[in-house]
Amino acid sequence: MSSYPPPFDHPFGTRIDRDALAQRLEAAAGWEAKNRLLVQLARELPPLPDALRTDEHRVAGCESTAWLVIGRQEGRLLAAADSDSRIVKGLLALLLTAYHGHTPAELAGFDFEAWLVSLGLQRFLTTSRGNGLRAMSRMIREAIAEFSH
Amino acid sequence: MPMNVPFSAARIRDEFPVFRHHPDLIYLDNAATTQKPLAVLDAERRFYETANANIHRAAHRLGSAATDAFEGARTRIAAHLNAAHPDEVLFTRGTTEAINLAAHSWGRAHLRPGDVILLSTLEHHANIVPWQLVAQATGAIVKPIPLDADGTIDQRAFLSLLTPAIRLVGLTQCSNATGVLPPLAPMIAAAKAVGALVMIDGAQGIAHGGVDLQALGADFYAFSGHKLYGPTGVGVLWARRELLAKMPPWQAGGEMIDRVSFDGTTFAEPPFRFEAGTPPIAQAVGLAAAMDWLAGHDRDTLLRHELALRERFEAGLVQLDCIRVLSASAPRGPITALAFDGLHPYDVAQFLDGYGVAVRVGQHCAGPLHQALGLNGSLRASFAAYNTEADVDATLAALATTLEQLA
Ligand SMILES: Cc1ncc(COP(=O)(O)O)c(C=O)c1O
Repeated sequence: MSSYPPPFDHPFGTRIDRDALAQRLEAAAGWEAKNRLLVQLARELPPLPDALRTDEHRVAGCESTAWLVIGRQEGRLLAAADSDSRIVKGLLALLLTAYHGHTPAELAGFDFEAWLVSLGLQRFLTTSRGNGLRAMSRMIREAIAEFSH
Repeated sequence: MPMNVPFSAARIRDEFPVFRHHPDLIYLDNAATTQKPLAVLDAERRFYETANANIHRAAHRLGSAATDAFEGARTRIAAHLNAAHPDEVLFTRGTTEAINLAAHSWGRAHLRPGDVILLSTLEHHANIVPWQLVAQATGAIVKPIPLDADGTIDQRAFLSLLTPAIRLVGLTQCSNATGVLPPLAPMIAAAKAVGALVMIDGAQGIAHGGVDLQALGADFYAFSGHKLYGPTGVGVLWARRELLAKMPPWQAGGEMIDRVSFDGTTFAEPPFRFEAGTPPIAQAVGLAAAMDWLAGHDRDTLLRHELALRERFEAGLVQLDCIRVLSASAPRGPITALAFDGLHPYDVAQFLDGYGVAVRVGQHCAGPLHQALGLNGSLRASFAAYNTEADVDATLAALATTLEQLA
């Protein structure tokens, strides 16, 4: 499955799918457990190489910094990401799970923000000026819109 | 409160209804905004229930009652600040608008190409960006006063920067990010000696110990109601009457004019010249109530309490690894800013939030200060009169657990 070249050779969106993550998040009752799970997901996402942690890929929230790299292969969207914050990196793992390795047709009608709300993570959307999450999901959606043209 | 009643933070906390709705909340984000005592909420509500009308022009009794309440608030606020005259108190939306008013009104009228505005590197963006805009418009130059290694203002550099080209020096009374207290008295005296005006950003300082404007000797003083136990939407710019008289209007509209015609309009005297449109009337009444409420306590006792909480917190931090207090040995207000080795402040704050502790992370609108300290951000705990030793101890315990979770 995850036969993509670096930096897209991570498990989120390929070996780990939305259902698997939803199950893990539902099992994490309460804020502390959810925070811990996000930190754990950050550990499972390999770091972006320094060469890609550039201004070109930088998405700044006002409290943390994240890097998002977008590519495509055989009609599929590829995405890789990293952050200096582990919680934000865990949230990025959710974003990658939703989009990475998928075709625009598979993603038609999918609403990332509604999915986060259904997972009990809406507080990260309301504070997204701080963590940049909305900005990143918007960038991915724009990339998808572009390559379906 | 009479002085013979011993101080009790728990009793003060009882005066803040927010804690009835959030009994377990440990609120250490006071530098962003404080909670409001019942006395302030009551004053605003009473105004709306008993005296609400637009001010200054209404030909009816309720209008007079509203005007009396608003102008009465101005008079009481002036007294709390020890201003020489109520007309020196201009109502604004807050600190940001107060500094913009000074920059755009005084700055555009009086700054010339080559004039210099000196700003400390501690400043909040609200005391930097308005001056940058005015500098662009007038050809004046904004120069920073650098910091020492411990994050305090480099006094030698300051003195060497002072020349007759300096028209204004902008200083915070208390850094909102690290709590550092600049030595205002000698700095103001040195600035005045070269003929510069001095803008003091009192947004943080006024909440901890207050201010005596006639003793301070500055030319402009700005603060917000909402950081002082008062309402949002109201703040003050103070300046002496002689200076205000030489300042043109900034915003224009109703209330600020003397006579309008299409041949030319003449403007009202200060303070009305600077209060275009309907001002924050109930909020001004609430701000006066907040300052009355504070004056009902011994300000020194409140400040000592807040500083004791900060010290208890910082003493407890010594037990924890990988934490550094910024500007630890500098004179500071009741604010602790932390940097972590190998941990992101955002992550620490997210875990603390899970344990009911509200702190703030980021650069706290003090980008130049963080650049000078070589940090992307910090975590800030800021204390107010209603915080208790139990708040501090619970925060230390939550922080210890957080560090384990993130280890
Ligand atoms: C030192 C300082 N200056 C200015 C401001 C801006 O105040 P306001 O947002 O109330 O206008 C703040 C508050 O964030 C502050 O702490």
